[in-house]
Amino acid sequence: MTRLLAAVAYASLGAIGALGSASQQQSPADSVLEARTAVIAAQLRCPVCQGLSIQDSPSELSQQMRAVVKDQLRAGKTPEDVKAFFVSKYGEWILLEPKAQGFNMLVYALPVLLVLLGLGVVIVSVRKWTKPTTPA
Amino acid sequence: MTRLLAHDSILVSLVVVLFGMATVPVALRTGRRNLLPYAFAAVYTNFFLISVAAIGMVYALVTHDFSIGYVAQVGSRSTPLLFTVISLWGALEGSILFWAWVLSMYAAAVVWINSRRPGNLVPYAAATLLFVSFFFAILLLGPADPFGSVSPVPADGPGPNPLLQNHILMAIHPPLLYLGYVGMSVPFAFAIGAMLSGEVETDDWMRLTRRWTLSAWGFLSAAIIAGMWWSYEVLGWGGYWAWDPVENASFLPWLTATAFLHSAMVQERRGMLRLWNLNLVVGTFLLTILGTFLTRSGIVSSVHAFTTGTIGYFFLAFIAIVMLASLAMVAGNSERLRSTGRFDSPASRETVFLLNNLFLTAFMFTVLTGTLFPLVAEAIKGVKVSVGEPFFNRMSLPIVVTLLFLMGVGPALPWKSASKAELKAKLLPPAIGAALFLVIGVVAGARNVYSLLAFTFAGYAAFANLREYWIGMRARHTAHGEGWGTALVRLVGGNKHRYGGYTAHLGVILVALGVAASSTFRTEHEATIKPGETISVSGHTLRLKSMWGREEKQRSVVGATLEVMNGAAVRGTMEPHMNFYPMSQAPVPTPAVRSGFLGDLYVNLQAFRPDGSNATIRVIYEPLVPWIWFGGGVVVFGALIAIFPSGMFSARRVEA
Repeated sequence: MTRLLAAVAYASLGAIGALGSASQQQSPADSVLEARTAVIAAQLRCPVCQGLSIQDSPSELSQQMRAVVKDQLRAGKTPEDVKAFFVSKYGEWILLEPKAQGFNMLVYALPVLLVLLGLGVVIVSVRKWTKPTTPA
Repeated sequence: MTRLLAHDSILVSLVVVLFGMATVPVALRTGRRNLLPYAFAAVYTNFFLISVAAIGMVYALVTHDFSIGYVAQVGSRSTPLLFTVISLWGALEGSILFWAWVLSMYAAAVVWINSRRPGNLVPYAAATLLFVSFFFAILLLGPADPFGSVSPVPADGPGPNPLLQNHILMAIHPPLLYLGYVGMSVPFAFAIGAMLSGEVETDDWMRLTRRWTLSAWGFLSAAIIAGMWWSYEVLGWGGYWAWDPVENASFLPWLTATAFLHSAMVQERRGMLRLWNLNLVVGTFLLTILGTFLTRSGIVSSVHAFTTGTIGYFFLAFIAIVMLASLAMVAGNSERLRSTGRFDSPASRETVFLLNNLFLTAFMFTVLTGTLFPLVAEAIKGVKVSVGEPFFNRMSLPIVVTLLFLMGVGPALPWKSASKAELKAKLLPPAIGAALFLVIGVVAGARNVYSLLAFTFAGYAAFANLREYWIGMRARHTAHGEGWGTALVRLVGGNKHRYGGYTAHLGVILVALGVAASSTFRTEHEATIKPGETISVSGHTLRLKSMWGREEKQRSVVGATLEVMNGAAVRGTMEPHMNFYPMSQAPVPTPAVRSGFLGDLYVNLQAFRPDGSNATIRVIYEPLVPWIWFGGGVVVFGALIAIFPSGMFSARRVEA
């Protein structure tokens, strides 16, 4: 039973953080805020998970981070401000999608280039293979 | 005792494998084919020896022999027997041993089935499989030695990773994954064998290769779906795919193997794409090794994690050797690999197969680029970046909807060429399905352009593939007066490859619909409620009845009991809980799932107050998620139809 108590005590540490922010009575303004929070939370990485966003992750840290996002939005910050706050705290790593600038452009451009190149090869090949071999 | 026996088995296997590898070229180059049985015996002996090691490990795990390094690492006296047995693949060393075991089994099966085949293909393929076995034996004796000794011997161990002992699917997903993953070594071995024996232009090896690829592909498909299901049932986030490097690693070879299964048909029919097919087979194998490297060397978490262990260098060296050797062999066979066939018309199934291969390859390349980019960025720019779900969704959705579209167009188009009238007659009718699914999507509330495209093309592909069955059955019905059931069985039996493929298509469409619907229409709500209070999501109401705790042998469990309400009546109860394992800081969530035909009600316990006075509950309504699991089953069924031995239905065909 001691183990259970220890576990319960541990879990409760996180639970308290999550308590104030959620309530079962939802006003329309609340659900708009919840939706806006969800959009941003889906773009931020849960620091203690395997590549999950803080929106998806059920971990305590993610619940706390979602609460921070919600609070900042409620305080009138823009989504960009909120993301910038987390980048300043954790580095660019916290963004699940790398910013499309500088060196990061590679990861966006390479697949597109491959598709274009491949389409070219397919078109040229099909033309070559369907050209009549003997002049008509 | 177990330790010595198992360890020495691997040591002896190294010698046996080297002997077998050397025997094959000697026998074939000097014309002493009577030596070949010795090489084949080496394959069987290797299987026996690795089995001794693997079974020895299981025995050590079950008897809690903590003097063995791996057992001390993952074993625990309090872990239930099943999870003790399956912790064989729960950590690095054990999973490499399991890899080697499955590989030795495949090699034995290949020799058992094909050893009487004339020509040099099978001996060279056996030598290739022995070469891969050699690599894994080296790993097992060096950087991934599971049988290292521990002193002093601990009284108990920490037990396996909690995530791996929380659900029964962990007993199913990894073996399937290894059967699929390691199974891709066999097509690779045939490819190398065909090049070494100069049989690469015979196309006979292709039929063999295709069959073995198909079975490995079936296992891999099942494994990927089972992995998604595990993620859904254990991680508590209500999703099934997070584009995690481990998931991507299983998906990459699946994409190239799928491409191969299609392009192999072009080679079979038109004698073309030989070089390309060879590259796909070799590439698929390399991706399985790369995937094992990525997930097992620790490199995906950080470049720095990689440099702390040595196993990564072994993998890199092996990948480099295989690549260079394959390239050299392809170059040496370039004359034989030249394409002889021609296309009759751009409007043909052949063209669709080319596009299918282009987009499957592009899909693989996109996922590979995204998976490796954080490593490249860290190595070159010294910056840690993440490439996660938003990136992969953005980049892959256009490819996915294109592939869905091609999946409808391909089966509808005939081989060789089609007249304008034929094109119209074939391509237009499935548009009814496209329109129908589009309307359903719009009415259900989808506005996102990719969701709508996915529904439209899934509808098109569903009708196009179903129509192929219908046309065939109708023809048999009118020509032979067969009943519809008989007509279906004989139609499929008469061309198992073709209709197995269409069945797999239907499964993929079900999966696509499940994914599209669940990501478009998913609704969720999270709230902290007291016992007696309710929480609702899209018309489903749950009432928190009570909180409870329970002590189990290897863990503590805290849960909530919620009643599913229908007005004032209680329809049932759901019990999401958290499992606390002593070795893990964070609890392992165990969501409760209530499945219906149109979707799941998914409930996770997020947090609770220790006195049980309230709980934070997340309720998600997940439309069509059960279709994903069912669709996965249909895909595997399609593969089974295609693999089924010929002649099963031939007696009936004679009657007809």
